[in-house]
Amino acid sequence: MRKLVWRNLLRNKRRTLFTVASLTMAVFLLCVLGALLQTFNPEETETSEKRVVVRHAVSLQFELPEAYWSRLETLEHVEAVSPLSWFGGIYKDTRPENFFAQFATDPETLLDVFQGMEIDPTTGEAWLAERRSFIAGRTLAEKHGWQVGDEIFLQGEIYPTDLSLVLRGTFTYPADESQENQIFFHHAYVEEALGNPGTVGTFWLRVDDLASVPLVIEAAEEMFENSEARVKAETEQAFAASFTEMLGNVELLFGAIGFAVVVSVFFITANTMAMAVRERLREISVLKTLGFGRRQILGGVTAESAVIGFLGGVLGVLFALLLVKAAARGLSGMFPLFSAMTLGPDVALLGLAAALGLGALSGFIPGYAMARRSIVEGLRKVG
Amino acid sequence: MSDPVVRIENVSKVYGGDRLRVEVLSDIDLEIEEGGFVALMGPSGSGKTTLLNLIAAVDRPTSGRVVVAGQDTTQLSESELAAWRHRNIGYIFQLYNLIPVLTAYENVELPLTLSRLSSADRRAKVETALEVVGLTDRSDHFPRELSGGQEQRVAIARAIVTDPTVLLADEPTGDLDAASAGSVLRLLERLNDEFEKTIVMVTHDPRAADHAHRFLHLDKGKLWSDPAESPPVAGSGGEG
Ligand SMILES: Nc1ncnc2c1ncn2[C@@H]1O[C@H](COP(=O)(O)OP(=O)(O)O)[C@@H](O)[C@H]1O
Ligand SMILES: [Mg+2]
Repeated sequence: MRKLVWRNLLRNKRRTLFTVASLTMAVFLLCVLGALLQTFNPEETETSEKRVVVRHAVSLQFELPEAYWSRLETLEHVEAVSPLSWFGGIYKDTRPENFFAQFATDPETLLDVFQGMEIDPTTGEAWLAERRSFIAGRTLAEKHGWQVGDEIFLQGEIYPTDLSLVLRGTFTYPADESQENQIFFHHAYVEEALGNPGTVGTFWLRVDDLASVPLVIEAAEEMFENSEARVKAETEQAFAASFTEMLGNVELLFGAIGFAVVVSVFFITANTMAMAVRERLREISVLKTLGFGRRQILGGVTAESAVIGFLGGVLGVLFALLLVKAAARGLSGMFPLFSAMTLGPDVALLGLAAALGLGALSGFIPGYAMARRSIVEGLRKVG
Repeated sequence: MSDPVVRIENVSKVYGGDRLRVEVLSDIDLEIEEGGFVALMGPSGSGKTTLLNLIAAVDRPTSGRVVVAGQDTTQLSESELAAWRHRNIGYIFQLYNLIPVLTAYENVELPLTLSRLSSADRRAKVETALEVVGLTDRSDHFPRELSGGQEQRVAIARAIVTDPTVLLADEPTGDLDAASAGSVLRLLERLNDEFEKTIVMVTHDPRAADHAHRFLHLDKGKLWSDPAESPPVAGSGGEG
């Protein structure tokens, strides 16, 4: 019987391939959607919740006056403030693998705001002491093979200046290794290169307690209500998710897409299996004449379609894994959020189970009907 | 004398509902002794296949009793029937009905996969059956690579491999040329002679019937068993 199941699978290779392919597509989509959802709704950690990001009220493209820095420091519940400006220069070329986050910041305050960042004190001092120096996340430094003392060149894209920077050391971020894919250098150095415009992209504030976060947000926005540049303050998560807001209710949207995909693929596979089984009505009747019972007939057909489902599931998960890996590598430069994108085992398992279930059910339904058909009717069927 | 292998009592078979009622078999009685070789003849549409299907228990009579190999099959459930058929019935079809995706060997092996046999025992049985039908050298061929006569002989090997109580053959030579038909008929004769298989063979062909020991004629729902009335009667009755 096992042999028969196998041969039946290979009997119409194009049809089997087509069915496997449609299941692969479905699982692929499900897994990618699942991975995206998990990326947009990361589990929130306490430390990140305790940070507030202050940016221009209109858009991230507008900068804030550097003078806001000292005023933000005066806010109650704020323990440290550090500027972060997205430099966005080109390293070597525009290929995605050479893309990484580049921030102009203040070496003295950066580690007070990002307490999860670890750097050895001598490195810290060396970085602090040299205006042209930078530090890189260990993952990134290893990827590019940078050694302390190496010089890198960043071609300015957003800002009308190029930068030549010297590596003074690496940092780690044990709580979140995706943070190790960036570099930090002196805000003051960039300022100087630009002719001291006195602007900063964003300010990052460490708040004393989680409960104070809403208060700080409110106070910061109020503080600059009547200033030339009004600000928007938000939690780190809100900041990270701000670009996904345009998608509206992502979860619902993705859920609906996933459901539609599963349902339509179910109809495709069920219909294909029904056709495959109906064509075999006569053979099934012969098997029954030989003494095969209904359960064996049903089991054979279900096993056949379950194998199709399993293959589709495995392939779908594999392709999704490849895409997610590529996205994490290729897009993390532009959208740092993607660096954390992975295909969770729960999502992969769900995809696999869905394919297996769809496959088995697609065979079970026509198999059940066929197993109950009268033998005589099947034997009389010509062809 | 021992009990007959096949005993049919007051069997009727009616197709269709109230208006399109067709009584194909009306109140038939029949007994077939162990080791018998019966040729069942009759015009097309007279119910020969229907009768064979009742003996094989792939179909149920509208009324009456069908006792084969000591079992009243009308009393068995579907799953009991499947197991019963596996033990007692070898069915040979006009159009062979081999499974196209399996080789000759695998087709013959197929019924044995239902029994708990060691693979060595299974192999021995398949090889014996293929030897009996003279196709040992074709065991790895797929049905499409065989001639009609060869296909039918594989089908016969499949029917005998489980050593069933009764062999049923529905026009086994109906689709074969004279030479292939001859070899299939000689094979059936040998199975009856040498292996003492009880055989019921439906045929249109008087020459085929010659190989049998007993002749039955089915017409207008009734069975006529007087040998004197038998061949060359086959085919002479009106259709339907
Ligand atoms: N499922 C069915 N419904 C209605 N009539 C049927 C059915 N099966 C067979 N018949 C009719 O029963 C008669 C006997 O058929 P069959 O046993 O195949 O005859 P034979 O084998 O002698 O040619 C035919 O007239 C056929 O049309
Ligand atoms: Mg017939």
